[in-house]
Amino acid sequence: MLTRCGDDLYSVSAASPPDAQALAAHLRAHGEWLEVVAGIDSVVVQFDAVTQDAAAVQALLDELLAGDIAPLQVSQDLVEIPVVYGGEYGPDLDELCRNLGMSSDEFIALHTGSEYRVDMVGFTPGFAFVGGLDERLHIPRREEPRQRVEAGSIGIADGRTGMYALASPGGWTLVGRTHYKLFDAHGAEPFPIRAGMRIRYKSISPDEFRP
Amino acid sequence: MSVTVLKPGLQTTIQSRPRIGLRHVGVPASGAADSLSLALANRLVGNDWDTPALEATLLGPTLRFNTASAFAITGATAAATLNGESVVFHETIFAKAGDELSTGGAVSGSRMYIAVAGGLRADEVMGSSSTYLLAGLGGIGGRALDEGDELVTTQVEAEALRTPDEFRPPMTSSWALRCCTSFETHRLRDDSREQLFDTNWTVGRRADRMGLKLEGPKLAVSSAGRMPSAAVFPGTVQCPEDGSPYALSVDAATVGGYPRIAQITRADRHLLGQLRPGDHVRLLQRDGDTAVSELHAKLDYWRAWLPDIVRII
Repeated sequence: MLTRCGDDLYSVSAASPPDAQALAAHLRAHGEWLEVVAGIDSVVVQFDAVTQDAAAVQALLDELLAGDIAPLQVSQDLVEIPVVYGGEYGPDLDELCRNLGMSSDEFIALHTGSEYRVDMVGFTPGFAFVGGLDERLHIPRREEPRQRVEAGSIGIADGRTGMYALASPGGWTLVGRTHYKLFDAHGAEPFPIRAGMRIRYKSISPDEFRP
Repeated sequence: MSVTVLKPGLQTTIQSRPRIGLRHVGVPASGAADSLSLALANRLVGNDWDTPALEATLLGPTLRFNTASAFAITGATAAATLNGESVVFHETIFAKAGDELSTGGAVSGSRMYIAVAGGLRADEVMGSSSTYLLAGLGGIGGRALDEGDELVTTQVEAEALRTPDEFRPPMTSSWALRCCTSFETHRLRDDSREQLFDTNWTVGRRADRMGLKLEGPKLAVSSAGRMPSAAVFPGTVQCPEDGSPYALSVDAATVGGYPRIAQITRADRHLLGQLRPGDHVRLLQRDGDTAVSELHAKLDYWRAWLPDIVRII
């Protein structure tokens, strides 16, 4: 479904995060846009309201949506994210485990026991929304967001694992921290984590953490 | 050729054009919060509109020109002196080597722009040298100015100009922003939807380059306040759980999980950079086509003084 908003936005609904990513890639490849941003279940296109006529944009979007949309490429590589769970690295883990009625070892075994897929990247540069969390770990976001969450923090909320590339405010329940560089502005690949990537978490000890 | 920062002011950063086309990996626009005032300052010293210049928030910096330089100040009104002598905004000013420029607290508006002929040297990252503090991108080391910083300039000649009266944006404490309904406006309760466009909102204390909280009646959404994260943009007005609309500005996150209840039109987004805590603001409802024709009218007006206006707003 295509919805217009204001002078320069259109939103298209999508059935799932991979569908939203596939649709966004399709639109990006077949049009001149200012921004094409996939969400969890939608894609928003921002166009140049000065040079592009809204009716023509809508016609083009209708045409593109009716075309063949290639499914999201899931990468063959499995990226392993080393995580120190609990303690100062994951300040919410103990309370979370009490609420879930499991030990932290059980949590770690659950969290490291599955393979995940990156649903989307965004919010702040390189922040990754990682889907596929075990249903036993589905919790809402914190009611009171923290003013500051450290870079590399790993949190869970809304059925996903969130990876904070940068220190920022945030409302996820923090279970650990990684030294994996999720955003490197001056590196050859500033965004090493991309939507569609396969992710696995590995528990490491604080001694193995390289800040 | 340089300018020394004697006092940095409250939050002074180097800003230029926005970063475009990177929101899908989480990189916000950044750039001057009031891009029109940035362009006006650069115009007075012969620079391209997006030449890196200083954006000073609420309290301006004190600077020493180590080389003779032409500069200009626009945006929020404030007292400013050069070696103790009062200087005016919206005119080219010629400083001699050793001259000290002191800018005070903003009286109306929130951000002043200080452009130096030839521009300030800044780190260009991902297509822009605009400072984005959260990720430490652009500007000087991605941070706000500090006392003792040396800003590197390029010496160029400039002619004396003044902004014609009809191109000086009025600074006020009472603003009107044109906006359209957004993707989740229908989730507002009927009375809340009326209040959105009928209220004379007050800008809250939380007002920065990320966004501005609007205080007034608490708005209510018909279902739970959360939704799956979806794209947001500068100008998007969200309705967070506390019911106070939150208008996103240039450094805002790229996706959000609160209902999007309005979208400030492209023509008026630059005004967000001048709203300050305590100011009043009304949201004037437009439909998309009206917003586009008003955008064209605004561009036509400004083109006579700023030929690049289509890239500025």
